[in-house]
Amino acid sequence: MSEIVIDNITKIFGEGGAKPFTAIKDVDFHVKDREFISVVGPSGCGKTTLMRMVAGLETVSRGEIRVAGKPVKGPGPDRAVVFQQFALFPWKTVRENIVFGMRSKGASKAERDKAVHHYLTLMKMEGTEDKYPHQLSGGMQQRVAIARSYATDPGVLLMDEPFGALDAQTRTIMQEELVRVSKDNPRTVMFITHSVEEAVYLADRVVVMGRNPGHIREVIDVAQTRQAEKWSEEPIDDVMEKSSFTHLRGQVWRLLREQMGDDM
Amino acid sequence: MNRSTLTGAITVVVVFMLWWLLTSGTGLINPLRFPSPEGFASALGRIWSDGYAGGTLMEHIWQSLRLVLIGFLTAVVVGMPLGFLMGYDRRIEAFVNPIFLLLRPIPPLAWIPLAIVWFGLNDASKVFVIFVSAFVPSVINTYTGVRNVRKTLIEAARVHGATEARVISEVYLPDSAPMIFTGLRLSLQASWTTLVAAELVGAFLGLGRALQTAYRDVNTSMILVTMVAIAIAGAITTILLGHVEKRVIRWRATT
Amino acid sequence: MKRRIPLLAYSIASLVLFFGGWQAVVSAGLVSSFVLPSPIDVIDRTITMMIRPFAGALLWEHALSSIGRFLGGFGLAAAIGIPLGLMMGRFRLLEDIVTPLFEGYRYVAPLAWVPFAALWFGTGIGGAIMVIFTGAFAPCVINAYRGARLVDRHLIEAAQTHGASELRIGWEVLLPGALPSIVAGLRISAGLGWQSLIGAELIVVSSGIGYVMIQGQSNLSPETVVTSMLVIGLVGLAIDFGLRAAETAVRRKWEGQ
Repeated sequence: MSEIVIDNITKIFGEGGAKPFTAIKDVDFHVKDREFISVVGPSGCGKTTLMRMVAGLETVSRGEIRVAGKPVKGPGPDRAVVFQQFALFPWKTVRENIVFGMRSKGASKAERDKAVHHYLTLMKMEGTEDKYPHQLSGGMQQRVAIARSYATDPGVLLMDEPFGALDAQTRTIMQEELVRVSKDNPRTVMFITHSVEEAVYLADRVVVMGRNPGHIREVIDVAQTRQAEKWSEEPIDDVMEKSSFTHLRGQVWRLLREQMGDDM
Repeated sequence: MNRSTLTGAITVVVVFMLWWLLTSGTGLINPLRFPSPEGFASALGRIWSDGYAGGTLMEHIWQSLRLVLIGFLTAVVVGMPLGFLMGYDRRIEAFVNPIFLLLRPIPPLAWIPLAIVWFGLNDASKVFVIFVSAFVPSVINTYTGVRNVRKTLIEAARVHGATEARVISEVYLPDSAPMIFTGLRLSLQASWTTLVAAELVGAFLGLGRALQTAYRDVNTSMILVTMVAIAIAGAITTILLGHVEKRVIRWRATT
Repeated sequence: MKRRIPLLAYSIASLVLFFGGWQAVVSAGLVSSFVLPSPIDVIDRTITMMIRPFAGALLWEHALSSIGRFLGGFGLAAAIGIPLGLMMGRFRLLEDIVTPLFEGYRYVAPLAWVPFAALWFGTGIGGAIMVIFTGAFAPCVINAYRGARLVDRHLIEAAQTHGASELRIGWEVLLPGALPSIVAGLRISAGLGWQSLIGAELIVVSSGIGYVMIQGQSNLSPETVVTSMLVIGLVGLAIDFGLRAAETAVRRKWEGQ
């Protein structure tokens, strides 16, 4: 059971220094096991910081984060991160990249070979095992990064604007793929994005954050609508034209626009 | 004081305490291997006021500094224009490069014996080897810097009707200046290395001479004093060069 | 239309003038052959030293003994300097501790270590290795450190979140990530190390190619000196060539990064 408990946390950068900066204040949130949540918010709202704290890449100033009941003390293979910049090792082949996390867990050669085959097939990338990252397109590279994270078999997947560096068409394809893959291999997912469409299309719940300092503004449930309207059975373009989708999208948009208004 | 400086300061203090502890404190290290702080201080006092190996510390430093500056400056005055011409005109490059490629692999220190044959064990032979060692980096970096001058800047100057003299002084030189200064720093460093070697091989005065005498006398305190003096003299010239660089390249965004 | 003279012609003319001028100056008696040997003298001397021992050994034996020492000192500098530099790039505390000591050491000209090297390790192979080490150490550390600092932070984080130990991060992320910078540093190191060895052989070590040179000088045999310079240059060139090939190979593999 890999639920994420974000227990009333605050993050202050440069605490004790001359200019402390409160990035996040009193954020309290639970992600259920195998739930897909996306986090949206204006830049500077601390959404990436929040994810990095769950990953253990940043420390928490107050409060506590627990994953599967255990407090987060640092990075670990139970919480794999997919980065916007892909972060594939340029000197490792696709195969070597995919098994990187598995080797941390001491997987046997046979297990590793099986996983490489399985995830490359899942990602529709058969035959690229021995290529280097720079020989692949951006979309392909991000598939490898996703495969690497899945292969580590983490309870939690953390994604930091994973499609932010891709062009529009590739991005759409990747969104569909992610829905397909995560349907067959459900994990607890925290997906950071600045695209409202993406957030609504992918997630069970959308967390809308606000800034100064970063806080949770509202949480919008999408899962019920998705199931009722059978989104996952239709192509992404059709989904985005459904009134159920545009309604939710409008709701998130309004929340974000109110945010902008705070500044004006 | 930030944390890095504090850690650095603590480290230096700890190292000094360890030094004292291992030498005077416990006698674990034989003074014939490495001196104690007290030995260092008394050697410093001796060379400073009474003199050692034919001169006081200041006299040794001045002698070495003088040779370095003469050799280094001559190399710069000859090397920079040559490097510039090589980068500016392909024919000059084609003419000079082969000889350069031939002579460059010979480390400057390997010129010392030939310099002694040519000039004897005097200042001239040392200035010559310092010149050789400082010459190569001056030429190469000026050459590379000029070769890498941005073509768009040259074209921009030309379409605005600049004469060739203006293109050289207002585009080529400023755009290659950072690279040229990198070369000068390397030249200066090489000058000191070569000077020390040349004076160790044979000299009547200078820091290398003092080092050599201290070695002969197995006077480890004096060896360390001389090494520190060499380091400080080298550091001072490097810092001065850095100031010159900052003044010349004022436009560069500081990082 | 102006007739263009091909650039190669300039290069050939340059070499012809250089060697021709050198030979002519000596043949014409403008300078004594006790001061400057002619190119032919040098070739003659090289052949003689290949077949008849000078200063106790044949020319290539002297060269080999120098190369052996070089490899020892250079290898040691790389083996200690690269991991140290990488760790300094990874751990802030270590960087803060080492930096002031390293800055102090860096300004000491490598050859100034000769007396201590000789006192501590003798004038045989030990002292020579230490002098090479002091010459070659700094670029190894600096370039490994810079290389490690330039490694994309996300790669380190990706390794961490995929459960890699610090040892694995060092070996599989920092080292390969810093490799282009490290190899460039090794080239500088090798040049400085090789030159330091020659210096040490001129001053205290009584064998090797630098020693041959100083013997040639005191025997008033400048052709021996120039021959040794030639050998020193060629060996230096071979070392640099090897490292440059490594540099190119690394760059090629890392292309498109």
